[in-house]
Amino acid sequence: MDLYPSDTEEAVRAASEAYLRDHIPLNAARLRPDGIWTDMAAMGWFGIALPEDIGGVAMSHGAEALVLAELGRYLAPIGTIAMAVAANVAIATGDQALAMDILAGTRRVALGLTEAGGQLRVLEVRGANMVLVTGDNGASLYDAPVDWTINDCLDPSTSQAIIALPPKARIQTTGSRAANHQRLVAAAFALGCAEAARDMAAGYARVREQFGRPIGSFQGVKHPCADMAVRCSAARAQLLYAALTLDSAREDAAFQIAVAKRLADAAAIGNGRASIQVHGGMGMTDECDAHLVLKRAHLLQFISPVSTAMLLAA
Amino acid sequence: MDIDYSTSEMHFREEVRAWLAVNTPKEPRPFDGTEGRAFDLAWQRRQYDGGWAGINWPTEYGGRGLSLIEQIIWFEEYARAGAPFIGVCFVGVNHGGPTLIARGSEDQKHYHLPRILKAETIWCQGFSEPGAGSDLAGIRTHARIDGDELVINGSKIWTSYADLADWQELLVRTDPNAERHKGLSWVICDMRTPGITVRPIRLMSGQIDLCEVFYDEVRVPVENIVGGIDQGWSVAMSTLGFERGTGFIAEQVSLAAHVEQLIGRARETTGTDGRALIASERLADDLATLRAEVTALKAMTYRTVSEVARTGTPGAEASIVRLYTSELSQRVARCEIGMMGQTMLDFSYGMKDPTHRYLYGFAQTIAGGSAQIQRNIIGERVLGLPK
Ligand SMILES: Cc1cc2nc3c(=O)[nH]c(=O)nc-3n(C[C@H](O)[C@H](O)[C@H](O)COP(=O)(O)OP(=O)(O)OC[C@H]3O[C@@H](n4cnc5c(N)ncnc54)[C@H](O)[C@@H]3O)c2cc1C
Repeated sequence: MDLYPSDTEEAVRAASEAYLRDHIPLNAARLRPDGIWTDMAAMGWFGIALPEDIGGVAMSHGAEALVLAELGRYLAPIGTIAMAVAANVAIATGDQALAMDILAGTRRVALGLTEAGGQLRVLEVRGANMVLVTGDNGASLYDAPVDWTINDCLDPSTSQAIIALPPKARIQTTGSRAANHQRLVAAAFALGCAEAARDMAAGYARVREQFGRPIGSFQGVKHPCADMAVRCSAARAQLLYAALTLDSAREDAAFQIAVAKRLADAAAIGNGRASIQVHGGMGMTDECDAHLVLKRAHLLQFISPVSTAMLLAA
Repeated sequence: MDIDYSTSEMHFREEVRAWLAVNTPKEPRPFDGTEGRAFDLAWQRRQYDGGWAGINWPTEYGGRGLSLIEQIIWFEEYARAGAPFIGVCFVGVNHGGPTLIARGSEDQKHYHLPRILKAETIWCQGFSEPGAGSDLAGIRTHARIDGDELVINGSKIWTSYADLADWQELLVRTDPNAERHKGLSWVICDMRTPGITVRPIRLMSGQIDLCEVFYDEVRVPVENIVGGIDQGWSVAMSTLGFERGTGFIAEQVSLAAHVEQLIGRARETTGTDGRALIASERLADDLATLRAEVTALKAMTYRTVSEVARTGTPGAEASIVRLYTSELSQRVARCEIGMMGQTMLDFSYGMKDPTHRYLYGFAQTIAGGSAQIQRNIIGERVLGLPK
């Protein structure tokens, strides 16, 4: 047993991080350049755990979680979650051509939340031509409606639309694998979000001075920062462990992933809020990036949420 | 990354499980240290005779020289078998011994380590003083050198099992003129030396595990200093590192089992409204969160151990696991007394029920560095915040 990343895993993570830092800084989350989807495809991020011959990276879900947490940290487009899951769904139905299009970024998949009363809330709709909906009984990929009304979202990094559930899916899978995978990927994003809040708050607390000292020297600031670190640490350890249970198709994979999502969500929201408090008045402004992280955290809560019943299942 | 155990690790687990199934004491551990002494020593001795003491200690001092992963497996099976709390052997096995392995002289190691493992000696930890708890560098108990002896005067407090111990890891000030952290020494003190007086203290949970210790012209050979005279601060830091380290794995595993028991009980017990307790959404959500948290605690532990295996040190991250464990175990205890309702009032000293666990559990965020101190460490050493 070894929960420490191997050298290869660490190299892939570091390369991803370097790219993100240089090309999609967090503070530009509102305005992602058009070319980003082809770039992200080229980085291999939509198919980290898929075979090489169709454009995947052929690594484990553990490596996938490790890398996607970095994407989460930079508030990378939320649609990445749909892309990564949809490619797997396409493979599962034997539609290799579709999978290859998704992995290449030429076909764009938006993320449908759970459907209620025939209505579906879809995220990251701008430029998308398909919609993915996953539930614990299966996943469906629909063709996107041609005439959707695109609206703003609380999370300014993405766009949304409310649509009527299309009558027929283009492809469909049964079982819970896609839902587990989506929950894991969303948990990785949430962990990254929590870490972004932690680092932003600690970074500010190191330099902002009041009473002639950096505010981070006050325990009223230091301790909430320490709590952010604790939440991240628990969520990270659990995320990687859970990812590995998916690789080995363990019986407890669904539970481990649910735990990972629950803790990552709690960390993202808790840290998002605490970070604004640490930033003081500045934290509440639109110019400060703290709110971007909090808003993303709120959005992530609705992606494959974890019910109490899932955690209490015997 | 890999969560599977190797074949030899799995084999080791089988072996451990089989041994524990036969050898784990069936009777519960007596209430406190005084009655517990004989019990704890017999159990430690049985583990030694079975070849299970000091799993990752060097073989030349009676250990097995195995890996940290094997130690985790041992602790997991230990907790699963419901084996008793280590009790009076805690200090010697979990931090006095490891400190000697890291910093002691060959003579000190050869003399003390096998005796600790064989349960021939009990150790206690004399760090805290009435005026120096969180601020350990503020200790005043001092030792002057007189020939080849240290002469110690002062007092210590909160010394667990001082009334039962043979030896003490004692932190004293040897250079009164040096800066706070600089003039300290870590000394092995024989608890039977003339001039030592021990006063036991009762806790709000009823136990008498703690003591105040007074030193009046206590003479200890200079050769009992560990890690060099005036070098005590860095030795004490390694002691605390061990105290916050792997010694808590068994506790973490039993915490997970404890949450499972609570979930089971919430399903089976009917509340005043005639429904199962778990029908309360509030309680169900608390239990779900606790189950999620103990699950993550296990992953955190594995991660720390993997890190130590690769890099050699747990780093300041150990404080994160320590803080998380201590606060989580208090949340579990609070959830449990919440489920008890008014029956928590049926408590008297000497009882070992959930109320007792709740009361004794306050120690979790005080002893071994309070939660606030752990947060300071995390803020400063993990996040780089200024002092
Ligand atoms: C059950 C138990 C067993 C123990 N066993 C031993 C033992 O065997 N040997 C031994 O040497 N010691 C032992 N201790 C002592 C333990 O290490 C101390 O109690 C602990 O370090 C706290 O010190 P204190 O009690 O003096 O509290 P104080 O240091 O006076 O702290 C009081 C409060 O102030 C807070 N505080 C103090 N300084 C700061 C700061 N800088 N920032 C923020 N908050 C701060 C603390 O967190 C706490 O809430 C034991 C304690 C307990 C409860």
